[in-house]
Amino acid sequence: MTEQAKSDPPINHAPSSSFAKEIEQEPGGEGIMKCIQCGMCTASCMVASMTERYRPRKLIQKILLGKREEVLNSELPWLCMTCRLCEERCQEDVDLSEIFTAVREIAAREGHIPPVFQNTIEKVLEDGWLLNDAYTDFEEDDRSDLGLDTDLGWNNEFVKKVKKRYFKGGAKK
Amino acid sequence: MKEYALYTGCTTPVRLPAYERAVEVVLEKLGVRLTTMKDANCCGAQYVESVNHVAFAAMSGRILAIAESMDMDILAICGACSGSLKHVKHDLDHNEELRNEVNAILEEEGLKYTGTVEVKHLLQIFREDIGYDAIKSAIVNPYKDIRLAAHYGCHVTRPEEIVQVDDAENPTIIDRIVEAAGGIPVDYTGKTRCCGGPLLAMDEEVGNAIGRDKIDNIRKENADGIVTACVFCDIQLTQVQFGDEAGDKPKIPVITLPQFLGPALGIDFDSLGIHLNKISPTPILESH
Repeated sequence: MTEQAKSDPPINHAPSSSFAKEIEQEPGGEGIMKCIQCGMCTASCMVASMTERYRPRKLIQKILLGKREEVLNSELPWLCMTCRLCEERCQEDVDLSEIFTAVREIAAREGHIPPVFQNTIEKVLEDGWLLNDAYTDFEEDDRSDLGLDTDLGWNNEFVKKVKKRYFKGGAKK
Repeated sequence: MKEYALYTGCTTPVRLPAYERAVEVVLEKLGVRLTTMKDANCCGAQYVESVNHVAFAAMSGRILAIAESMDMDILAICGACSGSLKHVKHDLDHNEELRNEVNAILEEEGLKYTGTVEVKHLLQIFREDIGYDAIKSAIVNPYKDIRLAAHYGCHVTRPEEIVQVDDAENPTIIDRIVEAAGGIPVDYTGKTRCCGGPLLAMDEEVGNAIGRDKIDNIRKENADGIVTACVFCDIQLTQVQFGDEAGDKPKIPVITLPQFLGPALGIDFDSLGIHLNKISPTPILESH
């Protein structure tokens, strides 16, 4: 330690955990340390403009401060629309939607997935596509009136392989 | 004649089949042939994408590999699908480990991703393959005195460096096509903002408030209609105009770009499925 540091102890801004470093190691999370907390993201965000509970700058701040459990247990990372309007405007090229996707992936590994995501993932990994249950005789008639093929021919074998390989025991893992 | 493999995505064939049909007939008229991709799967956008990036790369990667086996570039008509396919293509082209992982699972059915196919969104076909001049010279029945607001769709245009469709802050493709067809493109506050659709799963109320805010901004410019280039945006901007929250203001017709362009090219309404639109665009489409 230098003489200067002994006589004048540094102000401690150390985060409470290494969560930001952990995010940095995830695909998509690489740019988190570039954030200067200017708030351009929140100013651009349509979700923030309509609800007080979501502020992207604040969510990034929580990650930088190391509030791992709070962030992973919260619905906030799942409220990003991934519209990327903030990213077009961020002066530091922070990809917020990709950072929040990295957070979601960690949360998912630890079993925190909003039920609507969980259910939809289970459906798509079973049927191979999203709207199997919504495709009824009514829609088939519309397609046939338009001269379109009524057999949509979706493949559901591949997703079963994907599920087996990457989601051991279901979408939670 | 340029030929593309059409990847319809999950939503268009069920929720907006008229868009699918209009894409086919309009592109055929303008000299682009389509073959619909069969035996495909969901691209994994939003849901699988959120929880496992390798599974997501495998799902979109398989679609890219099918196109390679067809020896055709891909046309995607949904913002989420075109965004996913372009992102995954970018990742697979730059990450050998991920590419090997995806190819290991594709190998079992004789598919392989090597990176030879391109992914284009519908707007790129109009601008790059057909061109504004050719569109203009194909117009036989130009519109007159109608004001159209373009809604581009977030995943269609952003991030610009990956999707490479249009200027992300000031997109113009739809506006230029509206103009070529004789319409008046109108600017409005928040043109590049989201329709609110991606939030419906987590918070329907806020998602719909975002959509209604866009409609209000468009209404202030006295637009006669809204022209879209993504199935989700089209459905969202339509549905937010119904229900109690929407009030009793007159509804603004929402119409996909090929359905708007078709009549000006001399294509009849039935072939474009105009009768299936929830807010009838007929008054706009008959303004010649």
